Amino acid sequence: MRAVTPVPERLEILWTLAWAAGLLFLLRLTGIQVLQSSHYRELAEKNRTQVIAQSAPRGRIISSDGELIAASKPSFTLVYFPGAEVQASYADRLAEALAGPLGTKQEDLRSSLRRAVTRETPARIAENLSVSAMFAISGLKNIYSGIDVITEARRHYPFGAYLSHLVGYMGKMDSREWARYGASGGYGFDSRVGKTGLERMYEKELRGKPGGIFMEVDSRGRLSRILESRKWVPGADIRLTVDSKVQTAAEEGLRSSPSGRGAVVALDPRNGAVLAFASSPGYDPNAFVSYSDEEFPRQAEKIPEFNVAVQGTYPPGSIFKIISAAALLESGKMTPSEKVFCPGYYDAGSRVFKCWERKGHGRMDFLDGLAHSCDVYYYTAGLRAGPLAIERKAREFGIGRPTGIRLPDEKAGNLFGPTRRATRKSYWFVGDTLNLSIGQGETLVTPAQMAVMMAAVASRGSLWKPHYLDRMVSHDGRVLLSRSPELRGEVRLAGSTWDLIWEALRKTVEEGTGRPARINGAEVYGKTGTAQTPHGKDHAWFVAFARMPGAEPEVAVAVLVEHGEHGSSAAGPIARKVMEAAMRETLPRKAPAPAVPVPAPAIPFSAPATPLSAPALTVPAPAIPFSVPATPLSAPALTVPSPAAPVPAPAIPFSVPAAPLSAPALPVPSPAAPVPAPAGAAAPQDAPAEVRAAAQPAGPEEAAAYEAGGEPAGEAE
Amino acid sequence: MLSKVSLKKGRMDWVIPASAAALLFIGTLAVFSSVGVLPNYERIIRTHLIAMPIALIFFSVAWSLNYQVYQDQWKFVYGLSLAVLAGVLLFGVADKGAKSWYRLPFFSVQPSELARIGLIVALANYLDRRGGRIREFGGSLGAMLIALPFFLLLMKQPDFSAILTTFPVVLAMIFCAGGGVSHIAIILGYAAVSALFPILWTLLSLNPELVRNPLLDFFHGLSSFGWDTLIFVAGVAVLAWAAWFLSVKLYSNISGVFFTGAALVIILGFFSGMMVKNQMKEYQQKRLEVFLSPESDPRGAGYNVIQARIAMGSGGVLGKGVFSGTQSRLGFVPERHTDFILAVIGEEMGFIGTGFVMTLYLMLLYRLRCVAQLARDRFGYLLCCGIFSLYLVYFLINFGMLLGFAPVAGVPLPLLSYGGSNMVATFFALGVAESVYSRRYAFV
Repeated sequence: MRAVTPVPERLEILWTLAWAAGLLFLLRLTGIQVLQSSHYRELAEKNRTQVIAQSAPRGRIISSDGELIAASKPSFTLVYFPGAEVQASYADRLAEALAGPLGTKQEDLRSSLRRAVTRETPARIAENLSVSAMFAISGLKNIYSGIDVITEARRHYPFGAYLSHLVGYMGKMDSREWARYGASGGYGFDSRVGKTGLERMYEKELRGKPGGIFMEVDSRGRLSRILESRKWVPGADIRLTVDSKVQTAAEEGLRSSPSGRGAVVALDPRNGAVLAFASSPGYDPNAFVSYSDEEFPRQAEKIPEFNVAVQGTYPPGSIFKIISAAALLESGKMTPSEKVFCPGYYDAGSRVFKCWERKGHGRMDFLDGLAHSCDVYYYTAGLRAGPLAIERKAREFGIGRPTGIRLPDEKAGNLFGPTRRATRKSYWFVGDTLNLSIGQGETLVTPAQMAVMMAAVASRGSLWKPHYLDRMVSHDGRVLLSRSPELRGEVRLAGSTWDLIWEALRKTVEEGTGRPARINGAEVYGKTGTAQTPHGKDHAWFVAFARMPGAEPEVAVAVLVEHGEHGSSAAGPIARKVMEAAMRETLPRKAPAPAVPVPAPAIPFSAPATPLSAPALTVPAPAIPFSVPATPLSAPALTVPSPAAPVPAPAIPFSVPAAPLSAPALPVPSPAAPVPAPAGAAAPQDAPAEVRAAAQPAGPEEAAAYEAGGEPAGEAE
Repeated sequence: MLSKVSLKKGRMDWVIPASAAALLFIGTLAVFSSVGVLPNYERIIRTHLIAMPIALIFFSVAWSLNYQVYQDQWKFVYGLSLAVLAGVLLFGVADKGAKSWYRLPFFSVQPSELARIGLIVALANYLDRRGGRIREFGGSLGAMLIALPFFLLLMKQPDFSAILTTFPVVLAMIFCAGGGVSHIAIILGYAAVSALFPILWTLLSLNPELVRNPLLDFFHGLSSFGWDTLIFVAGVAVLAWAAWFLSVKLYSNISGVFFTGAALVIILGFFSGMMVKNQMKEYQQKRLEVFLSPESDPRGAGYNVIQARIAMGSGGVLGKGVFSGTQSRLGFVPERHTDFILAVIGEEMGFIGTGFVMTLYLMLLYRLRCVAQLARDRFGYLLCCGIFSLYLVYFLINFGMLLGFAPVAGVPLPLLSYGGSNMVATFFALGVAESVYSRRYAFV
């Protein structure tokens, strides 16, 4: 028996090592499994779920007469699910096969496909496929596994460059927007958001809730089951107060004006609703829909972001004489019948001020003075009434203050007068009074301010805060937001003063400088203006309002044509067309209402009125052609049409805009139907609820039923 | 504690089989859960279930057999262990590039698992017989020479995982027997050098772009005989001499033997490393590459460990429930029923599960330590030390790897991981420990 000579200390050292390590491991385990558990759980969830997001159809922007200004149309996206063939060579072959139909560079395709293969995640290969590309790829789907075409809703602006500063445009998110929207969910890095205008202002409401297919995948990226297939919720529709006909008239008018630059703002003097809001140069928001990440910033730089109607400040010129006239009449320093002799100039002692009519107007009373826009009359009147009275009236009419229209960076213009001078510790001279009274000098106004002023004249004192958003209606018909008229102030003048101003403005149009704005059957009140500018030809102004005899004024408009030289010839006709379009319902029938040429964008006019377009806006969930490359698991899990099946299905919505066009769109100019607007287009005003129901893209059942029914022509009648 | 246990007259320490059974139960649940979606899960479950009764038999036999038999028959045990390891090279089948399996009608056997117990027996015998002279360098060297054939045969398979787990056991046994710490350090240094060279060469061949560096290119050239070899040997010798010269100049008391020894260890390690490298067949080299860089996965470095950690972390305190771990069942955790079984347990049973497993493991180790101290003779003590250090090594490497303290190595966790041979060998080893326990009194 050998002696037991253990060396227990040695074993004890090892045991100490064991429990010390155990303690260390326990600490680390607590860290991983208790403290950081939620972090790891998130990672695990991300690991196992793959989402093919589908953007919801964005809420539409609809004019007051029911035309779609911004809509969503189906677009086709090519996605790639890496499947059994996870080799780079397969990606190369696939890239080669796809390059042709997609019309993109093979290298780009190859790199994005390879990335999808190596990361084993589904990827969007191409967006916004053309019809021909879609058909070609549908054929390839049978040969190459893993590619698929899914349908999504994409922003579309049927009118193109139209109301662009108000509607805005969409683009991919930048980092600031990502910080703003990204956290609230539903946004992916490739989501598009509204960059300006309404699209930006009501981004959250317009966007709706995107849907998606939530899949559980295994470590190879193969589908193990579908966790959830969530249907999108369309965004809320925005109904504008803007009337498409009036807007078209305004846009067309500006486009055909001498310089092509300027602004038209038309208001309803009864409630301050914006009927037309055109600012030129504008842009076509469709252009940005298809730009890729790299191109977008470059393209966005080219956008004429400058909104002439609220950001452009100009001297008002003679249209300011309306305010001077109000000041003069209110001051009582001069009777309307008192005549002033105009020799063509005014000698102010130190300096001679000229009238625009070099020959002189001769003897002018109040009515003639405004009708012929005689400068000398207003020099005299200004001196009589005093600059302070004019300044006060100008302030009452909202000069020097933003109109409060909900648009970014609105300018206040500049209120010019002795008070302002005094606050700046400067002197006021007689010459300043003369300049002030004819709208020269330092007075600066925006076209929107002038429209508000004219609406105030038309409504005899109501200074409206212009609003262009009528209401916002969610997809299920709830009214989320509605704008009621909002008064910003009131111009208090004696009834006789209003009468005289109206009479003078009427005379201006009937026999004075405003003759180009005359409309048969309606009473038009207007004033021309020519604002001198050191930068070239004079700016042309025209402000007007119109009413049916004996009725309330229906429309007030301000037109500015940059460097248009003459208010009457450059701006007047535009104002007339705009007013005609605004009054097309009330004007006598024999008046040729559609003086406005119906241009190419007339095609989608019929869209909202008939249920025809419904499938075009709809992305029916069951029709999503979605088949994951053959794995044993996916086969039972997906009840998906065979690869060949989806081909004809998405084709139907495409045929819709093309085929039935002729049916609803043609009756417009037809003499047999004397209603100036197509019945469909007029409908929303009478029965908005019905129209909404019909035009709503929501119901997948509807769409499905429609697709089953097949023939669109039947419903077009 | 010690006296309390020793006073009890039980034939069996029930804590060891109880905690082993609990671990086996948890491990079985996790294995079943994680293989549920694998294509060959039927075979895995069958093997696992067949191995259990066999393990029980081995445990009972080892328990009832007097462990001193092994010392008497140590030559037979040693010879048998070497024979099965040599035999597997001749008759074995290759799996994942390593020829380490005997294919039997119903299942396969990995002989290295049982042979390792044989090695522990042989070493315990040697260290026991060596007695007090173990403190000489020759004692440690002798133990290494006994273990050397094992390593060579394992290298031949190659089974780097077995080498990695066995080598520390050998060192720990020498340590427990009272071997000089400096001697162990020398052995460790020699082993490190001889392992480092092939590993570095393999790493270089994995990253050919590094060879452009002239210094690394020279290093790469060392892997075969030539003038480079002479330059290297001479360089090491000169460096050692220079270091010694410097230390003399600095009036330090470091003996010249130290420098000579260091140079010798490096040079000898280098030569044996070169030998190993040149002996390795291509598939062996491939296996080493896989062993060295499991990150050769296309998804990038550390993918496996990251996924395993995500699995553990996502389990939280209570876990996702057995059979409902997404990370393991969807295949994000690699080698989930073997090396990464702990991640599965962590995901499905949470912190409670992993904490419980760790407690059981530590309890097992604690009881093995107690048994070692109660052993009636030095052989029994050393036997238990070997078994103790074997499971300590598994515990440290596997937990450490998962929790990020140790590099990734394909080492299973006994009693939890799937593996029939490992399970049988583990229970056999525990049976041997029980045998030591039950015979703790000296019946003179």
